[in-house]
Amino acid sequence: MRPTGVVQDGWSSSQERAAVLSLREVSVEFATRRGPVTALSEVSLDLTPGSVHVVIGESGSGKSVLAHAVLDLLPRNVTVRGERHLAGTDLATADRRRWRELRSRHLAFIPQSPASALNPVRRLGPLMAEMARARGLSRREAWPAVEAALAGFDLDPDRIRRMYAHHLSGGMAQRVVSSLAMIGSPDVVIADEPTSGLDAALVDRTAGHLLTLAERGAALLVITHDLELAQRLGGTTSVLYASYLVEQRPTAALFTEPAHPYVTALLDARPQCGGRSIPGVAPELTALPDHCAFAARCQHVTDACRAAVPPPVAVPDGTVRCVLAGRA
Amino acid sequence: MTIGIPNRATARGTRRRERVRGVSALRIVVRRLLALPLVLFAVAAMTFLLVALSPFDPEAAYTSLSTGVSEQTRQEILAAWDLDGSIVEQFGHWLGNVVQGDLGHSRLLAGQPVADEIASRALLSLVLIVTALVLVLVGGLVLGVLAAAFRDSPLDWAVRTLAYYGAAAPSFWIGLLLLYVFSVHLGVLPSGGSIDVRSADAGFIDPAHLILPAVTLAVTQQSWFTLYVRDTLLEVLREDYVRYAEASGVRRAAVLGRHALPNALIPFITIAGTRLPELIGGAVLAETIFAWPGLGRLTVEAALVVDLPLLVAITLVGSVLVVFGNLAADLLYRLADPRIREGLT
Amino acid sequence: MTATAVLRPRARRLRPWRPWAGGVTPLSAQIAGTVLALLILAALTADLVRPVTSAIDLDAILVAPSLAHPFGTDDTGRDVLALSLQALQVSFTIAALAALVAVVIGLWVGVLAGALGGRVDGLLMRVVDFLSSQNHLLFGLLIVVLFRPALGPAGAVMLSVGLTHWLVVARIVRGELLSLRDRPFVAAAIGGGATLGRLVTRHYLPHLAPAVGVAMVLLLPHAIFHESALSFLGVGLPPHDPSLGNLIAAGQRSLLVGAWWVSLIPGLLILAASVAVGTLGEYWRDRHQPRWRGELEL
Repeated sequence: MRPTGVVQDGWSSSQERAAVLSLREVSVEFATRRGPVTALSEVSLDLTPGSVHVVIGESGSGKSVLAHAVLDLLPRNVTVRGERHLAGTDLATADRRRWRELRSRHLAFIPQSPASALNPVRRLGPLMAEMARARGLSRREAWPAVEAALAGFDLDPDRIRRMYAHHLSGGMAQRVVSSLAMIGSPDVVIADEPTSGLDAALVDRTAGHLLTLAERGAALLVITHDLELAQRLGGTTSVLYASYLVEQRPTAALFTEPAHPYVTALLDARPQCGGRSIPGVAPELTALPDHCAFAARCQHVTDACRAAVPPPVAVPDGTVRCVLAGRA
Repeated sequence: MTIGIPNRATARGTRRRERVRGVSALRIVVRRLLALPLVLFAVAAMTFLLVALSPFDPEAAYTSLSTGVSEQTRQEILAAWDLDGSIVEQFGHWLGNVVQGDLGHSRLLAGQPVADEIASRALLSLVLIVTALVLVLVGGLVLGVLAAAFRDSPLDWAVRTLAYYGAAAPSFWIGLLLLYVFSVHLGVLPSGGSIDVRSADAGFIDPAHLILPAVTLAVTQQSWFTLYVRDTLLEVLREDYVRYAEASGVRRAAVLGRHALPNALIPFITIAGTRLPELIGGAVLAETIFAWPGLGRLTVEAALVVDLPLLVAITLVGSVLVVFGNLAADLLYRLADPRIREGLT
Repeated sequence: MTATAVLRPRARRLRPWRPWAGGVTPLSAQIAGTVLALLILAALTADLVRPVTSAIDLDAILVAPSLAHPFGTDDTGRDVLALSLQALQVSFTIAALAALVAVVIGLWVGVLAGALGGRVDGLLMRVVDFLSSQNHLLFGLLIVVLFRPALGPAGAVMLSVGLTHWLVVARIVRGELLSLRDRPFVAAAIGGGATLGRLVTRHYLPHLAPAVGVAMVLLLPHAIFHESALSFLGVGLPPHDPSLGNLIAAGQRSLLVGAWWVSLIPGLLILAASVAVGTLGEYWRDRHQPRWRGELEL
């Protein structure tokens, strides 16, 4: 059994009240033919307007599921537990109509591969205008808003209007979906791997665009496996490992002084730090251990690690899910 | 205003679009039309080859009606039916005539020119096939989209079950059931023919007479289409761009109709083009059941007396229809997918 | 969608095309198998169950379904159930032989195209594509009338169905052969100096057997349909030979005077056979050879 009811006191009550998106011990479980698969275990996080929150993790750590849980894009064989609040709405109680309203007025989504997220058989002009209308703009306001947003990303609206998705380069497609995310001033912008497939220069530009969104007051949730991008974005970083949120601290602090052994190992695995890869492999989500998921690969493993799943521990600037946290 | 570094692929794509637009559609038409004589030649050659290989002896069949004829009369009969000479000579002769617009003379219709008879019947068949095609496309699209939109609901289940059995049942049997229910039992629809013979001002085609044959012809293909549309749409609904539209707050109906459907139409068009020959075969059965005086019934009548010139000519008309069907599919395909238009795929 | 598809969002799930969601369940496959077994059993024992099958009884013309005649009688007083069972036997036999003709032709064309490759392959596949674009009922009609005097009605129908249905088999065989050619044991045989003939008989044909077997089973409903369509049109079996198509055609006359039962039963039998075979074939294919899905959508 996993411990429940651990009080999370890593956030002040004022932050909690201001949070536009808040997740409390959210778990996501898939019912599959081979039994249940836990994709997310008791993850908590809060986003305040104008803040940046980066979620990093390896493939299969559950970070995309996190984004999909907030957007209600999960398939039907899924159970979500825990509390999800967005713009004052309890997401568990939201019906289809409320969801559409949330997506169109409060959320914006920057998909993983912008090139395949744009409809291949429709001209971008009408397509973007329609998306703008879906974001609450009137028929008359829609295209001017798109024009303004495109211009903000150095794109020529008159040219984009007549194009199809396959005319765009990777960077242009990225800027097109980023500009769509700005329309209608959403409260929360969720970006799922916004830089996958982009070269270094474009990664930098994309990071700039994302920060612009935050400057304009949106709460930004960026899902990525790109550590450089996380560092560039700043704000707060959450690290996921095998469905658990193992460390959540200000990005700068996390990168200079990681608290969780996994995060330490992850940072050491970067090429500029010697590229020491972590021995062993991450556990399968179908067979998560009943204790700390990282115990098998951890250098500092103790008996306590194998006794139970460690609860999240509050440290001065965040939380760490490790029995060693706060002792050193 | 800067646009950033123009991507090479983009520049190429744009340039090609401006250059090729308009020409490409023409090229499709020209290519298909140039292929038409070749297709017809191949079909005709194949038919003659089949006749030559078969044990069927046209000579015996044509002269046996009049027993005890003199050798001279026999030769005259053969010459009159263009049956003198080897099969290659016959084919050459026939081909020469066809080029001049003469498809030969029908045995079934007492020596009348085949071309005249076909021309008078073809329109009736065309009306039937086009009506059925409209039923197939509209019905398949509506039911398929509904089933996909309400996936796994009782509606979906009902549509799927009906379509599955509709596709498996012999169409002529379904035609007979319809005939029984609507004209014999209920008496609301006519059981055969194309016009109401009792009415003095009977026109070319009476719409009420068209209903049962067209539905019979449509039902098998429509069932098939419904299942295909539903499945393609469900496939497309999993695409990134559909999920992105949904995540951006686009209404469900618009997601289905404006984002998913235009993409699902692309494979649908390809399939629609290849299924046209099935409708032609189905027309033979539907016309026979409902005594629709079109080419299909003529085919059966010609087959019963082995009227080769007529059968060959009808087969050719069928091939022409198939070529035009494919041409229409090509053009629609081009219209539906900008990437095809630009020659990118 | 499964969990892995979400965790690796780029991995697009390629699903075989299935008319009904969730595919063919083992239960529906069992039901289909039972139905097919019953149909075959009925066809085999048709003569035993009703010894007085085709007895004409002018006192019982067009009797509605009753205890004595569960499915009524036709316009010469013959029992429709007994006739249908006999027709099942006739139609199944002709369909099976026609499917065999199609398989033999398709096998040879496919093996020639696949084994020789190059220009022969290109040419043969061109021919196959061309023939597929033509309507096979029209050609079937032509073949029947041309060959009927020499082969008799049943033989002509078999040939007609066989000659118009081998295209699918040829495509499948060629596809299988092309994938076989890349397998190590074939490369080893070629390296060992095997002749083309030996390759075909020793290596290709044994591996093609399952594909060809399934193709033949899946052809059956189409062959039944074509046989009955030709008979229905009056160019197939002689009108008084019981075949499913002839029974349906005979029913058309009775239909106009309100006797619906004569056509109903033979049609239902065709429907049952074609749904059962289709379901079983699909079940087998999904489990073993999802690759054939494109070709086998007959």
